[in-house]
Amino acid sequence: MLWQNNKRSILTWGLFQAIAYFVLALPSLVIIGASFNPGSVLTFPPHGLTLAWYVRAVQTPAFTDSFLLSVELASIATVLSLLAGTPAAYALERYRLPGLQSVQTLLLSPIVIPAIVLGIGLLMFCNLIGIGQGLAALLLGHFVLTLPYVVRTLISNFSLFDVVLEEAAQSLRASRLVIWYRVILPNILPGLLSAAIFSFVTSFGNVALSIFLVSGSTATLPVQMFASVEHSSDPTLAAVASFVIFITGIIVLGIDRLAGLQRLV
Amino acid sequence: MGRFATRIAWSRNIYLLGLLTPAVAAVMLILSIPVAWLVRISLFPQDQSYDLSGWSAVHYMKALTDDLYLESLARTTIYSLIVTLGTAILGFPLGYAAARGKMRRWKIFFIVLPLTLSLIVNIFGWIMILGQNGLLNSVLLSLHLLDHPKQFLFGVGTVLVVLGHTYLPFQILSVMSVVRQIDPMLEEASASLRGNRWVTFWRVIIPLARPGIVAGCTIVFILTISAFIIPQLIGGASVQMYAVLVFQQMMTVLNWPFGSALSLILLVVALGFAALLRAAAGRSGGLRSVVAK
Repeated sequence: MLWQNNKRSILTWGLFQAIAYFVLALPSLVIIGASFNPGSVLTFPPHGLTLAWYVRAVQTPAFTDSFLLSVELASIATVLSLLAGTPAAYALERYRLPGLQSVQTLLLSPIVIPAIVLGIGLLMFCNLIGIGQGLAALLLGHFVLTLPYVVRTLISNFSLFDVVLEEAAQSLRASRLVIWYRVILPNILPGLLSAAIFSFVTSFGNVALSIFLVSGSTATLPVQMFASVEHSSDPTLAAVASFVIFITGIIVLGIDRLAGLQRLV
Repeated sequence: MGRFATRIAWSRNIYLLGLLTPAVAAVMLILSIPVAWLVRISLFPQDQSYDLSGWSAVHYMKALTDDLYLESLARTTIYSLIVTLGTAILGFPLGYAAARGKMRRWKIFFIVLPLTLSLIVNIFGWIMILGQNGLLNSVLLSLHLLDHPKQFLFGVGTVLVVLGHTYLPFQILSVMSVVRQIDPMLEEASASLRGNRWVTFWRVIIPLARPGIVAGCTIVFILTISAFIIPQLIGGASVQMYAVLVFQQMMTVLNWPFGSALSLILLVVALGFAALLRAAAGRSGGLRSVVAK
């Protein structure tokens, strides 16, 4: 162990970590605290509890509409990424051929291309081909945004899945299609689900790419929140943000139960 | 090779092509072609978003000679190095402890949650903490450490703290995933050979954890140098980071050719740094290990 086995050293380490994790969680804690605070300004310590801001958030069409749009967008982008990413991840894990390494780098490159470059490029491209800003542009962007996460998650899943099962099916003269839906897909179901959830959360929370692709009538929830943060400090926003924190927290806990976060990250 | 074997190879190649084509076509169409089109736009001589025609390198000349843009690029690079170094120094012990210590499950949850949470939520939380009516001011006022509220937002220092806070989890995760693969026996062996903890740290752990450190630094540098939302909302007009200038040229000034040129310079610096780090760390790190975790 790196740390000494005496009481003071262990205490110092523990304290350092406790502070670090507290600071990591601090912004979320403050937002949740503010969302239940009756006053229109955040005060410390808070006086009283109220759900009024949540009620107002639900009654604000700008938030509910953009929430529904974000859910719709994240769902479609996830389905597209799974459809394209699953076979690709399988091919990249199963075959060792020259050139496949470059294909893998290409498929994972959206992770390292700065969002602002991708966003501007896509905005210019959508103007060029005439679809402009809006839902179609957002869909293209979120598809390529989520694809690398699906590919990466599934590559590690396929590497754990025993190829002997496929060979057994093959020797029984199962066609490739049958092998896919009777052998491969059922065996990687937990991986598929966690890839889907990661993809969904990535798309749902994105603001850096979406901000270039939204049109006046189609704002995603994070973009709507961006506009609100810029213009006001309304506690309704704290309720919306808390809601996003709860959803994301539940989803991350869900992945942990389903596939084990430790194995994925 | 017999004819039968050739036929199998053909069938396999066609199958492979079918598996890979949708994903490769998508990335080519949605990423490669738009970036190529961005390169073309940056070479139009005009200063607007319409009637673009002709070829010229005038925007690159301006971006690489005008003091405003050069200074912003230099500052942004320095800020990014500070954030990268700071998060690496904090992230290493945290990542190490998350790999070896107790309560791993909860630690990982609290590392992954901020990463999956929308960036905008994190920024909003920081505004509530640092703003004039924010938490920090109320605490300091109630403890009589301040007489009247102080504005903590809109400064370079604050922007760097928020950037570091936002991207620290990447460093922790990268270190954690490599330290988990280091056999604890190696550290015990070093200790039993009378290496003190510093020797063990510098000669055993750091070299073995290097790929993770390099991967974490690469991703944090790329994210910081291209950050525009945090500088805009936390820094305001006083912090002109490079990506903010890009955003303004594209979305407010609508000088698309110049904005495109700036964005491509940003891309080259970001990926150039990644390549440099990879070269410095030997073959065991860099871009590929970032994306192929």
